[in-house]
Amino acid sequence: MSVQTHQNGSRWEFITQSRVWRSFFRHGWPDNPLDRSLVMTSNIFLHLHPVKVNRRSLHWSYTFGLGVIAVVLFGVLVFTGVLLMFYYVPSVERAYPALRNIEVSVPLGQFTRNMHRWSAHLMVLVAILHLIRVFYTGAYKSPREFNWLVGVGLLLLTLGASFTGYLLPWDQLSYWAITVGTNIAGYAPLIGNAVRGILLGGPEVGQDALIRFYTLHVALIPTLLVLGISIHLWRVRKDGGLAVNDSVTPAGEVPADEHVGGMQKTSEKS
Amino acid sequence: MSTTNLVNTTDEIFPKQTNKTYALVELMRGDGPMVGKGPDGSVFSFPVVLLIEIILVLGVTLAVFLFSLLKQAPLEAIANPLVTTDPAKAPWYFVGLQELLEHMHPTVAGVLIPTALVLFLAVLPYVDRSRDGVGVWFTSLRGRRIAGWTALYTAVLMPAYILLDNAFSLRELLRNKTPEWVAQGLLPLAIIAVIVAVPALVLSRRKATPREVLIALFTVMIVSAVIFTLSGFFLRGPGFKMYLPWQMPNGYNPLNGL
Ligand code: HEM
Repeated sequence: MSVQTHQNGSRWEFITQSRVWRSFFRHGWPDNPLDRSLVMTSNIFLHLHPVKVNRRSLHWSYTFGLGVIAVVLFGVLVFTGVLLMFYYVPSVERAYPALRNIEVSVPLGQFTRNMHRWSAHLMVLVAILHLIRVFYTGAYKSPREFNWLVGVGLLLLTLGASFTGYLLPWDQLSYWAITVGTNIAGYAPLIGNAVRGILLGGPEVGQDALIRFYTLHVALIPTLLVLGISIHLWRVRKDGGLAVNDSVTPAGEVPADEHVGGMQKTSEKS
Repeated sequence: MSTTNLVNTTDEIFPKQTNKTYALVELMRGDGPMVGKGPDGSVFSFPVVLLIEIILVLGVTLAVFLFSLLKQAPLEAIANPLVTTDPAKAPWYFVGLQELLEHMHPTVAGVLIPTALVLFLAVLPYVDRSRDGVGVWFTSLRGRRIAGWTALYTAVLMPAYILLDNAFSLRELLRNKTPEWVAQGLLPLAIIAVIVAVPALVLSRRKATPREVLIALFTVMIVSAVIFTLSGFFLRGPGFKMYLPWQMPNGYNPLNGL
């Protein structure tokens, strides 16, 4: 701020000192440790992270960023999905024409649809890869068992979101893929036909199935995903950040338990 | 209850008269206070983590953006319940199950095995209760070798099973000779169970830790899933019969079904 001219400086200061500004930004410019900490703690989104993180948890080859990539893809899907919702009609007569309309006459419609479809495939793939990396790095071990279970739930929800979305174009591809897919569910002994009936709302894929899949796809599953992802990320933080932090301390650094030892000694003395 | 008691306790916890104005909080080894860097090599989340995340957001969005410019999402003819597409395939993430269905009874392939897989994932953190090697890829060199050898083993046996059963179908060979639940249920399930169990058994005879057994089982699961998915996706053509991907009849291209 010091390089600014006197007049600019005062105008800038007038803004940044105002009560309105300061009610929005409860910290100064983050060029010092205190303000860098405040940036993180005073903002709900950034507060997902602790003020400081271990350098080793940021190594690219540890996580490959897969969890974050899954979150990003979910964001892209919500954004493009809402755009598609403005034009899509979940009716056997109108769904397919709506898709044609999106592709032919809606500005950037085909492109939005492409983004939605490719991100959806990619998110399933990325969630599976993320599970694989969490497994092989032993990051499911105590105290992260619960978050692993939340993760399994998220994977099933991701599959559910993708599967229910698959039917919506109401073309031959989607119709027969869902027929094959729901037939698999129907093979369960005793409850199979009931499960299939609940999914489809009838004996075969038709209007009842379409409205059920639509509701699951745009309302129930995304809501559960938002909830699940929130719990998942909150747990990552509560469990002490990424599991790599728990592993052996590199030479020359102070092992965590010696700090505890030091504290115990002082409390004994006093 | 007396108020004097309460006052005394409070005084014990927060002594009013203390001549100390400082306290020893912690003893540390090292050169000095944490100047610029925490005691365990930590960095400020702002801006480091934030920048990494911004790069990921932009990178992922750009990648999907570019791909969407190049490749159009498919849209076939309007759904017609009277005309089955040939082949009719599930979405790619379920096509592995569809491949499995070719080899055994639907209840086994469509219900028992998927349920077992999800249960395996759910109980796995409770089976391996050690904290050794947390946050280390494959836990140890031995773990890495186990993963590698099991992957190789599965990548040989599962395709062999698929191809053999395709050429000499148990279902056809044993038709009318044994009841259906043997030919299509018990027998294929036993074959799969043996393939899955062998690495785990070998390991437990060599005093493996639960973690190492889990690495073997998990690797068998993932590699098998990949193989069944690839087979169902790329090798199955009209009639869900097996073809080489570049020799599909009727101009069928598996990639159009994404
Ligand atoms: C919708 C899908 C999912 C999303 C959006 C998601 C997101 C994330 C994110 C952002 C992290 C932080 C670390 C990283 O980037 O790797 C994480 C960590 C973690 N995830 Fe997921 N995840 C998903 C699915 C799963 C699945 C399928 C599992 C396993 C069954 C899982 C288990 C875990 C565990 C145990 C951690 C802590 C890892 C550690 O401490 O190193 N998550 N997840």
